[in-house]
Amino acid sequence: MTGEAPLLAFDAVSFTYPGKTAPVLEDLSFEVAAGRFVSVEGPSGSGKSTLLRLACRLEAPDAGVVRFAGQPVDAMPPGLLRRRVSYVQQTPALLADSVRANLRLAFGLRVNRDLEAPGDGRLRQGLDEFLLEKISLDQPARELSVGQKQRLCLLRAMLLAPEVLLLDEPTAALDRDNARRVLEIVKGLNRHQGVTIVMVSHNPADARNATARVRLGGDR
Amino acid sequence: MTPQIIAIGSWQLLFSLIFVLLAGAASLTWHLGLGRSLLVGTLRTFAQLALMGYALVFIFRLESATLTLGVFGAMILAALQIVHGRIKAHQVSLLWPMFGAMLVSYAVVTVVVTGVIVGAKPWWQPQYFIPIAGMIIGNSMNALAISLERLFSDLRSQRDLVEMHLCLGADAREASQTIVRGAIRAGMIPSINAMMGVGIVFLPGMMTGQILSGVDPLTAIRYQIVVMVMLVGSTALSTVAVVLLARRRCFGSGDRLLLRAGWR
Repeated sequence: MTGEAPLLAFDAVSFTYPGKTAPVLEDLSFEVAAGRFVSVEGPSGSGKSTLLRLACRLEAPDAGVVRFAGQPVDAMPPGLLRRRVSYVQQTPALLADSVRANLRLAFGLRVNRDLEAPGDGRLRQGLDEFLLEKISLDQPARELSVGQKQRLCLLRAMLLAPEVLLLDEPTAALDRDNARRVLEIVKGLNRHQGVTIVMVSHNPADARNATARVRLGGDR
Repeated sequence: MTPQIIAIGSWQLLFSLIFVLLAGAASLTWHLGLGRSLLVGTLRTFAQLALMGYALVFIFRLESATLTLGVFGAMILAALQIVHGRIKAHQVSLLWPMFGAMLVSYAVVTVVVTGVIVGAKPWWQPQYFIPIAGMIIGNSMNALAISLERLFSDLRSQRDLVEMHLCLGADAREASQTIVRGAIRAGMIPSINAMMGVGIVFLPGMMTGQILSGVDPLTAIRYQIVVMVMLVGSTALSTVAVVLLARRRCFGSGDRLLLRAGWR
């Protein structure tokens, strides 16, 4: 895909879900250079989400190798890998707790103890940057709208300063206005902070900002 | 004073079937469709308990450590089969880790109760060891089934939350901490509730049985207190051990959650 040294690479990767006979991904190879914005496209069931899950070791390939920064991901400690290659799920998953507790969640985990937990000032600034100016840190996170939850999850992932952001249909459940806001944020993270984006989307309009595309096959 | 025990004769035993007939009449009147189950249940009660009675007479007379411990092992295997059959998580292999955890936790509590608290000599004296082991295994078998069912169903239904934790860098232990805690609590609550209600809401079977067979109620009460606390202890030990082992089996290499919704 590029002439530069790849940050993320799939090398002849195949994957079949347990209990299924047909592989969802077969002999898939591609490379993503640092700083790229890659759009993953394909019909339902073509393995788009699976591709993201393989990149952060939520699934293990049956064959082939997934590499991050030249190293096979299965040779890296999973916690450290997921801090650098951050996966944001399609459905925002939040604790039944305040916005503050959700944003600080990662900093209470063992693998992130070397990181300083962001103070309220930094969190407030983050909320403003992610177009969440109107919500308070004490507000229950689960009471936010879907669009706000999605942006909150993005912000939570970004607080760990990942090198790669894996986004699984981040605009799927959003209205046009909210979808546009999320895409603006993602574009900004890529352009201004140099975060490599790998984004799955059904909507061709979402892929307009992409600098590269991975197309997956038909229904299996 | 020698305690006067009123033995139940064969005719009296047969007469007790009137209660089953009452239940059968209710089933017929209300079209409950329980007639066959009542018949099978009654036959099984008579047959299983008669067999157990004769087996116990044999085992008590023989006073063999090997036989006593063999019966103990068989009881655990039966409980294992029942619990394993009830849980719906065939994606993870649990049989042998569960057996190990049950064997160790039940053995520790049973030996402490018979050998140290009751002071039976030898500690495996079948008259004490088998009934006490039976109570421990029977009670914590239900606790295990409840805990494991809760663990697996919560891991499946809250997969998004577990994976959210993993994506932020959590290990399997951190990602499933709340679920594991809930599963252990769910298993332990019935035995804690039993301690709250004992003597007020209900009179436990063991104590009632001892009193009916002529034992001084104060002695029966002491036994019952030991039984209640031993059941809480054995339930806690076995539930914690089995749930922690099961949790380890639910995650693969790289802390991947192996359980999937819709899969058994």
